[in-house]
Amino acid sequence: MTNGKNIYLPVNGKIEEIIPQGRDVSLFRVRTQMPLNYVPGQFFMVSVWGAGEVPISVTSLFGADKAVELCIRRAGFVTETIHSLKAGDPLWLRGPYGNGFPLEISKNRDVVVVAGGIGMAPLRPLIEWFMKKPEDVGRVTLLYGAKTPEDIVFRDEMEDWKERGIKVLLTVDRADECWKGHVGLVTGLWQEVHSDLKKATAYICGPEVMIKAAMGELFLFGMPEERIITTLEAHMKCGVGKCGHCYTGPRYICTDGPVFSYREIKDISIP
Amino acid sequence: MKNEWILEKNHLSYWLRQLRKAGDLIGPLRDKGRDIVFRSVDQIHEVVLDSPASLPSPKEFLLPQYDPMLRLKVTSDGVNLPSKPQPVSPNVHMKESYGKTGVLDLMDKKKRVIFGVRSCDISAIRLLDRFYLEGYRDPYYEQRRKNTLFISIVCNNPDPTCFCIGLGTGPYLEKGFDIQLTDLGNRYFVQTASAEGIKTVKGISFLFSRPRKTDYDDQYEVFLSATARFQKRISLESPRRMILAGRLKDDFWQKVARRCFECGGCVYDCPLCTCFTVTDRTYPDGIERIRLWDTCLFKGFTRMAGGILPNEKRMLRTRRWYYHKLIHYPEVLNEFGCVGCGRCAITCPGKIDMATIATEIKGLAINGEEE
Repeated sequence: MTNGKNIYLPVNGKIEEIIPQGRDVSLFRVRTQMPLNYVPGQFFMVSVWGAGEVPISVTSLFGADKAVELCIRRAGFVTETIHSLKAGDPLWLRGPYGNGFPLEISKNRDVVVVAGGIGMAPLRPLIEWFMKKPEDVGRVTLLYGAKTPEDIVFRDEMEDWKERGIKVLLTVDRADECWKGHVGLVTGLWQEVHSDLKKATAYICGPEVMIKAAMGELFLFGMPEERIITTLEAHMKCGVGKCGHCYTGPRYICTDGPVFSYREIKDISIP
Repeated sequence: MKNEWILEKNHLSYWLRQLRKAGDLIGPLRDKGRDIVFRSVDQIHEVVLDSPASLPSPKEFLLPQYDPMLRLKVTSDGVNLPSKPQPVSPNVHMKESYGKTGVLDLMDKKKRVIFGVRSCDISAIRLLDRFYLEGYRDPYYEQRRKNTLFISIVCNNPDPTCFCIGLGTGPYLEKGFDIQLTDLGNRYFVQTASAEGIKTVKGISFLFSRPRKTDYDDQYEVFLSATARFQKRISLESPRRMILAGRLKDDFWQKVARRCFECGGCVYDCPLCTCFTVTDRTYPDGIERIRLWDTCLFKGFTRMAGGILPNEKRMLRTRRWYYHKLIHYPEVLNEFGCVGCGRCAITCPGKIDMATIATEIKGLAINGEEE
């Protein structure tokens, strides 16, 4: 959805609610006057006039058609500005862009969702989708790693996910006094996944090193390349394959991705 | 046969003056230094034909270096204004409507006639059309493209740096141009290949006569002599194959990168380099979203959230430039991302322009060496 014919013209949205999620991360619910028509895995170019535009992946499941939830980490000038906004302030959007997650490949299969840090954001709508259609999917396991217990996002929702049958495994790099769970890399939790990885589907998002390690290891465990799915991040200025910033190999992450299978990206350096 | 004419040279200046009535006439002019630049023509006699390549290429009239796209009107209550008064933007059109959302589209709707463009640049524009208008259509490019008529001139005297002949992108084109002129001494052989070009010539048909047999003979002779004058005969196919065969190791690119000054000159002058960045600029009464030329040779080009730099090594950035033109362009658009205009050879202070590197790679291939 763009405003008229000009792909660079954003639409005016309004921040409805801001829900803090761990350190430096907040969930922004934005409402627009036009339907947004997005699917999980896509992203919006989100802007504050005077600060600039940044690509942010959708964090909510489709259905909420005139509203979208965007999970944003304070990481640079624009996101810093977004974090300074209050409910009721305008936030401009254009999109959705990108291809979205392939959902059909997890039909009737066990699913492993591997997330690291803010990488949980684009994967949250997937979890919601699996909870909405439990009959379509086998056992769902979420492996989630964060730097410290404070950095875990959607911690409250995870309790709800657990109750509704999602197996949630958490790990942190550095524990605090209260932490009783795992400490270490998210890829150290494979033995806790009680699914046949050869037959399962994986959706991965997180820091580059984590994505590379998780994809490579799942492939060694016998998971087919085309069912190891990730979504990549890159510097973007346009979102429509013109500005050249996200160009990687022959592909543009914005228009050919951001969701790729291991088969598509194993030969190129990511991102 | 049908779309070919003869224009006597002493009619050219009259024709250009007529064309100027339809829009801004742009032509190659000699700058205060020695460079040739495409600028708005004031005095027709100042147009320099048969000159070295312009720097940069005329792509700047489709993708300007500084390109304001959108403007948001700022009211006293809305957005924070800068504490210091800023200069008033040159891009305000007060009478135009900001629309319902308060955003004004700063679309450039000026009509232009660009005269004296080289064949290689026309070939580049043909590729830019595919890049900018396939998939998502870029509205700013599209609008300018629609309002611009290109009159190209066959290069009878190629520069020492030119190598379009090896790429089929010049010096003479069969298709893809609006109006193409070939200099036959006292007259021009005129060809039209687009509806706009045909319309332009037919609109002032009394200036043009039908070519006779001698004109065709002369045109062919000029074409043959032009092709014979090329000093560089370079094919990009051999470097492409060397890269695809994995025969160029990181060492080779490291050596190339050591000669790169990261000035971005090749990118700015290249008719096919189009990467841009977008930035917001605040004025007292509005905020403008502007796009500016950017280059993959700069370290910050791919900087991600949190400061991660995927292409921190200069070798990766230098290699990316060559890979994009030699490998990925052919993969996606089936043509090389180079039209052999030779501008990078004029600009590059480290002499790692496309022709030099292609020749070095070919040398390795012939000697059977592997880097």
